[in-house]
Amino acid sequence: MAMFRWGVNFDPFAGLRHVQRELSRLHETWFGESRRIGGGPYPPVNVYESPEEVLVQCEVAGVDAGDLDVSITGETLTIKGTKRPPPDEEKLNFVRRERGSGAFTRTIVLPDAVEADRIEANLDNGIMTIRLPKAAAAKPKHIEIKPSGPEEVRP
Amino acid sequence: MTKDDAVKVEASRSGQELGENAFNPLVDVYETEKEVVLVAEVPGARREDVLLRVDKGVLTVEASTSYETPGENYARTYLGFEPGQYFRAFALSDEIDREKIGASVANGVLTVRLPKAAAARSRRIEIKTAD
Repeated sequence: MAMFRWGVNFDPFAGLRHVQRELSRLHETWFGESRRIGGGPYPPVNVYESPEEVLVQCEVAGVDAGDLDVSITGETLTIKGTKRPPPDEEKLNFVRRERGSGAFTRTIVLPDAVEADRIEANLDNGIMTIRLPKAAAAKPKHIEIKPSGPEEVRP
Repeated sequence: MTKDDAVKVEASRSGQELGENAFNPLVDVYETEKEVVLVAEVPGARREDVLLRVDKGVLTVEASTSYETPGENYARTYLGFEPGQYFRAFALSDEIDREKIGASVANGVLTVRLPKAAAARSRRIEIKTAD
C-alpha cells in the first residue's frame, strides 16, 4: 500500500499556508525584533516567593514615591499610582509621545498569607520593591519524625 | 537640573554595538522654542548606567539596569519584566547645538535637553512697508 504523508503531498491549502508563513515572518521582522517594554498591563510586576517572604517588584519609571499608594487587604496587594504628565503639557509641542500618563491600579493576589504590619516598600530609580514577610501560619513548618522504638520480633 | 543627576554626553566615533536583545525604551519628544527635549524611560538605571553618545548626527542612548533581583532561593511566581539593557538611536537635526547637550536621570527617567543653535531659533521678521 502506498503511504502518503498527508501534510506534505495532499495539502489543498499549501499555497495559503505558504502565504501565511511569509506574512508571519514579515510580522516578526517588523514587530518582533525590538523588544519594547510597556504596552501590557501597567505597571509590569514581578512576583518572587521564598519560604520566608513574598517579594513584589514593580516598574514605575517617572512616578514619585508620593504619588504611589500600596495597600493590602487579606492576600490581595493593590498598587495605585499616578504618572504625572510634564508641567505645562498643553503648551508643549510633542513630536513623539509613547510614555503616557495618568492613574493606574494593579492588583496582585499573593500566593500566601503575609504579615500586613511588616510590609516594606522601597522605590529606587523607578523600581519599587515590596517585601511582604509571610505570616507564621503560612511558613513551612518542619515536623519532627520520631523514630519508633525497636520493634518486637515475633517468632 | 541638579548637578548630581547629570549624565555625561560623549562624542565618540565608535561604540560597542548592543545586541538585538536590548529593550527599546519608551520616549517622549517635545520641542520648545529654544530646545528639543527627549524623555526616555529607563527604569532600574542609575546615572552611572546611562551612556549618551553623539556620533555623526546620531544620538544613541544606552543604559543598563542595576536593580537587584532575588537570588536562587526565590521562586519566580510571576514575571512581567526583566533586567537588561536599553538602546535607542535618534537622528539629530542640524539645528541642534551638539556641544550643549545636557542630560539627567531621575527616578528611572532620562531627560536629554538638546538646545537649538542660536541661528536656528525662530526669529520674528519685521515687514517693512514701503511708503
